[in-house]
Amino acid sequence: MNYGRELLKGNTDSLLLCLISRQPTYGYQIVKELEKRSNGYFQFKEGTLYPALHRLERDNLITGKWQILANGQQRRYYYITERGQQVLASRLATWQDFSTAVKAVMQAETI
Amino acid sequence: MGSNISHYLNRFKACLKIDQTIRDGVAEELYTHLEDKSRELEENGLSKEEASKIAVQSLGSPELIAQQIYETHAQGSWKEALFSALPHFLVALLFTSYYWQNIVYVSIMLALIVGIAIYGWHRGKPIWIFPWLGYYLMPVVITGILLLSLPQGWGWIAALIYIPLALFVFIHIVRQTARRDWLYASLMLAPMLVTLTWFSSLGSGNELLRDGIWLAGLQTNALWIVISFIALAAATIAFIRLKARRYKIISLLIPPLVILFSVTMASRGNIDYWGWLILFFSLSAFAIPVWMQARAYQ
Repeated sequence: MNYGRELLKGNTDSLLLCLISRQPTYGYQIVKELEKRSNGYFQFKEGTLYPALHRLERDNLITGKWQILANGQQRRYYYITERGQQVLASRLATWQDFSTAVKAVMQAETI
Repeated sequence: MGSNISHYLNRFKACLKIDQTIRDGVAEELYTHLEDKSRELEENGLSKEEASKIAVQSLGSPELIAQQIYETHAQGSWKEALFSALPHFLVALLFTSYYWQNIVYVSIMLALIVGIAIYGWHRGKPIWIFPWLGYYLMPVVITGILLLSLPQGWGWIAALIYIPLALFVFIHIVRQTARRDWLYASLMLAPMLVTLTWFSSLGSGNELLRDGIWLAGLQTNALWIVISFIALAAATIAFIRLKARRYKIISLLIPPLVILFSVTMASRGNIDYWGWLILFFSLSAFAIPVWMQARAYQ
């Protein structure tokens, strides 16, 4: 399987938590935001988004609320919970340590 | 709603066998996603038909999404699994220690079952409620059987008055449960299957209450009865904890096999009419909810 896709799969939850922690958001906006922020690098498979969001909600890391917009449309916005913030902080710290270590090894290899 | 989108959502809903409220909520969420995507594609110059077709394709297989959503919602926690299995363990305990002969212990157990079943029913039917509901329905069924043991003539008169009422309560609860998922209805009917199988293996009609045959039979086979309920408890824990639907179905097939084995051992291989009853109850426990769910989806 594609290495990049495997990496994305392993970090989907962290990426979603990170985006939702910045501002409450909904499914379609998350897909667009991920694409935009990664300059098109993350081509998220749209169908996998909702099971991931529901998994995070089940684990009490985010919570979803239906909201009616001014134009009458309904959207389910996701908010990060306190537990979600703690998990995100811990994952970011782990990711930074991991990425620093990988960079150090890889750079030494390429010199 | 475009035909592509509505067809997609119908396929999704038909595959997703979870609580109707949650299912409709997820379908609504997918609908808003498809609408957003279609609108964006239309603004880029595509026709409405093309836009909805591409939107649906980009979301992927509705069956796959339904399966992943099901696995998220269908797996209960360890706490829920143990609480679901608790009534089976309690019944096993009654038989382990001969507490089933003590009216106080049996009454406490009955009050606990009724209380918890009613509480769970009015609290949105959480996943742990179904085994409790099964025991809650048991007195309704057993009373009907015992009425047939009344003196000549009276049994049928009493049963004719009682049976329609009991059937109404029974069908209402089974239908409500099967509407959510027929597997939950099977989980609910499982304790009844075990109890009725043992009832039928210990005697029939007037024999049940005459000369203490039935009580003596229960006492003699207490160990095998305990094994049956422990098997039911283990299957319930597995059912609640497993994610995939096919494994849940397999876990529900374990108790009938263990009971068949237990009854065979208890009767030393002498299977007669109750052997057929086991098969009948086993099949009913699965077939009735399937049929009810099929009707609910029509």
